[in-house]
Amino acid sequence: MKNAIETYDLTKVYNNNFTAVNSLNLEIPNKSIFGMLGPNGAGKTTTIKMLTCLIQPTSGSATVGGYDVRKNPDEVRNLLGMVPQQVSLYKDLTIIENSQMCADYYGVPRDERDDRIEDLMELVDIKYAKDKLISQLSGGQKQKASLVASLVHRPDILFLDEPTIGLDPTTKRTLWDLITELNDNGHTIILCSHDMHEVDMLCDNVGIINTGNLVAYDTPQGLKDSLLESNKSQLSDTLAEISSQDKVSKSTKTDLENINLRKMSVLLKNQNDEIIDVIKKSSHVKSIEIAHNGRLNLRIDAFDELAVQDVLKDIISSGGIVKSIYTEEPSLEDVFIKATSEVDENARA
Amino acid sequence: MLELNKFWWMIKKELISLKRHPSRLFAILVFPIIMILLFGYGMGGEMTDLPVVVVSQSHGDLTDLTLDTIKTTETYHVVEVIDDLDEGKQRVDSGEVKAAIILPSDYDKESSSQKSVTLYLDSSDQMAAQILESSTQGIFYRLSNMVAAQTSVSTQDADIEPSIGHSLNNFKDDISLHINRIYGNIKYIDFLVPAVLGMTVMMSCMMGMGATIAGERETGELARLFMTPTSVSTVIGGKIASKLLIELVRALILIVMAILLFNVSIKGGILQTFIVLVVGALCFVGFGIMLSARTQTQEDYAQIVLPFSMPMMFVSGVFYPIETMPWIFQKLAYIFPLTYLNDAMRAIMLKGQNLGDVWLDLVILLGFTALFFIIGVKRFNRDV
Repeated sequence: MKNAIETYDLTKVYNNNFTAVNSLNLEIPNKSIFGMLGPNGAGKTTTIKMLTCLIQPTSGSATVGGYDVRKNPDEVRNLLGMVPQQVSLYKDLTIIENSQMCADYYGVPRDERDDRIEDLMELVDIKYAKDKLISQLSGGQKQKASLVASLVHRPDILFLDEPTIGLDPTTKRTLWDLITELNDNGHTIILCSHDMHEVDMLCDNVGIINTGNLVAYDTPQGLKDSLLESNKSQLSDTLAEISSQDKVSKSTKTDLENINLRKMSVLLKNQNDEIIDVIKKSSHVKSIEIAHNGRLNLRIDAFDELAVQDVLKDIISSGGIVKSIYTEEPSLEDVFIKATSEVDENARA
Repeated sequence: MLELNKFWWMIKKELISLKRHPSRLFAILVFPIIMILLFGYGMGGEMTDLPVVVVSQSHGDLTDLTLDTIKTTETYHVVEVIDDLDEGKQRVDSGEVKAAIILPSDYDKESSSQKSVTLYLDSSDQMAAQILESSTQGIFYRLSNMVAAQTSVSTQDADIEPSIGHSLNNFKDDISLHINRIYGNIKYIDFLVPAVLGMTVMMSCMMGMGATIAGERETGELARLFMTPTSVSTVIGGKIASKLLIELVRALILIVMAILLFNVSIKGGILQTFIVLVVGALCFVGFGIMLSARTQTQEDYAQIVLPFSMPMMFVSGVFYPIETMPWIFQKLAYIFPLTYLNDAMRAIMLKGQNLGDVWLDLVILLGFTALFFIIGVKRFNRDV
């Protein structure tokens, strides 16, 4: 089986005619870590609810582990584990009691049950708190307890919804290691998170959902590269126009090809206060920092390709001569914001 | 100014929240109206039109005068005047009427022996019984005085018919009212306790069950259960069983406390009382499941359940007899399961009847239970 999850035109329309998921086509490779990104209200939760058989799709289909979510919901449920954002274990029970209950709900054989729980508690390093009530645990301990309860039936596919939200950096890193280890052990992991660094670091593939549609899907590096390519394309007109002017040196043409829409570093031949004031007044420039080597580090607060063009025009019109332009590689956050900024506001309403 | 702004936001937030939760707004607006209606018409009114039969085994002027007086007294609603003593008693025993006023065959006859009028009274309905008792005593006291005055006039008035004056005169001297309380002398607490037990079970089951479902939905615990290969009916069944177990213990405690604290006598036995309470608990757990099937939060559930539980408490005869309420409330009472639970509880505890005697109440309660479960399971979905 190549893919752990496949959806074909998966659609969910709620009773109030709100289309939460709209013809979603998605493939999540088996034994991979998939990052599901999207702004709030994008349709991630509804997608997960359909994949975990909590709600029925309105149309389209989905298979999980080869089983159809409509026709074989119990087989699908047996394959899944879920660590929700809000820890949903019974607060008045201990980790062991909660895990035992989950094991019994999934039909784990009694003679294996307690050994499995012990092993899992060791794996996530929570054995020391095994007799504590859930209500007595810290945030990180609760997430670990939730992992134990979710893994006790050895699910092939594990959904993690914001697993590290609110955790301190050390606990966060422990959980990241754990997620990697679980993946190494053969679990397919679907990670929903707003932590772009986390997704960038952990995930093999990333899908960005917006207004119920999959608007981007690739490896994290692939997404970043495609944004870079997109930027180049968007700036081609700008390059042509600016390069024709004397005040931009020929060498900057190459630099401009690598420009990022949001962050750039500009070195002027004739930098002065007047030019800096003009740059500061630009509506596109969010911040300006003068580096020790004289470079101007600009943060552009827009994704409009004209923003960079406008800023450069402002510099040139105020007498500035651009010596060179450098840019940073786009981050996954840049990709996310770019992908989700092209939202049809009417569709989100 | 800043603080005022914050203060205003507190109010504004509540108003917006209410606007966005129509069910809460409805409950807040309608609930006080329902309460005023119930208290005003139900508890504030006088107890009138209590159903009685008159067993009249005599004929004559005194009988006619007595019947007229009874019929024109607001306390009574004379269902029928009959002459069969056994039928009159049977109607009281069956609960069809609250009392039978029995006028003996020698009531209108001139006789030297004392005439004995009997009030055959359903004393299990303590409040109605008290009213009927005092009202009947008052009627015959007034009749006596009226007759005495009439007789006094008749001795000086040649126009009055001698036979009537003689008869009424005899009545004054010879009549006695014998009260037959068929279930003994029942105190108000005895009347109240069976229904309070039922009411407590109702409140506990409805509030507890709904809060459990809505609460677990809110915290995501229910979602975790529904992600396992488990059917909705299994989850609901498990919830019911656990709640019922708690309610059984609670019912036992209630019964024991009622006996210890109020010295309440349970004529039908503790086991039968317990069984009736269990059937009631099952019914109200079902009610809670039905109402909470799609409720998202505990707060929402509390607002939704009140318009059902509070009217049921006041209309179902916990504190005062259903027969004394306005007709619309009387009709309403019969669509509430608590009415049948109260009826069965009083029959077992006060009248000493057995489960066979209250079969109809139990069947209706079980019918409600089945209905609530079916609707609850159908309305329930895994979308938590």
